[in-house]
Amino acid sequence: MSYQEKRNIVSIITGIAILTAYCIYAFGQVRAGSVAPDDFKFWARTILIFIGIGVGASIVIQIIFHILLSIAISIKKSIQEGNCDEKEIERSIEVEVTEDEMDKLIQLKAMRFAFAIAGIGFIAALVSLLLNYSFGVMINILFISFSVGSIIEGLVQMRFYRKGIGNA
Amino acid sequence: MPKKITITNNIRKLRFFANEMTQQELAEKAGVSRQTIIAIEASKYSPSLELAFRIADVFGVAIGEVFGVTEHPGERDQE
Repeated sequence: MSYQEKRNIVSIITGIAILTAYCIYAFGQVRAGSVAPDDFKFWARTILIFIGIGVGASIVIQIIFHILLSIAISIKKSIQEGNCDEKEIERSIEVEVTEDEMDKLIQLKAMRFAFAIAGIGFIAALVSLLLNYSFGVMINILFISFSVGSIIEGLVQMRFYRKGIGNA
Repeated sequence: MPKKITITNNIRKLRFFANEMTQQELAEKAGVSRQTIIAIEASKYSPSLELAFRIADVFGVAIGEVFGVTEHPGERDQE
């Protein structure tokens, strides 16, 4: 499995974890009756906090993942080739983590799926308002569709890495 | 509608004749990741013209010796 695939799995898991945490916290508050479904400020605050947590967690996890991968490559190289010099290890890490034209094409193609899901979510959110659902329902459809879109984007990228892109 | 074509390649053969060059070495010389070389070799990814020229340049051969085209008569390209 390549670096990009491993990185994808990590970001999918992070996305699922954050979405699950949001659902447990936000809907738990509503179910407990401590917040009204129409409380604009509560939803705005909660979503902003979780966006912040999501961005922060992604950055930290990717950094940790990169460090662990570098260590793993160094150990693997040392075992395979005995006393391997530092430059050789650095070059191996660089080749493994290089983002090239295939990665960019896969990202672009996968992004289309994320946009499609976010777009459907946006329309569904507007429809929910027309059907007299509360503001809470509307903002949650929006947030969840964007989050699901980003998870699906990761899954589509995984599929492209596995199945190939272009000729396949 | 144009006929469906598949881009084929001789990278494995060329690597063999280049003193069994590894995929990693080729990736380094072509300036891409090893994953991309694996995908190109398995015909899972059609490289850009620029990368195709770079790969041919690594082996010191013409681009036509690295990549070829297989036509699929009766099938039409859907893109």
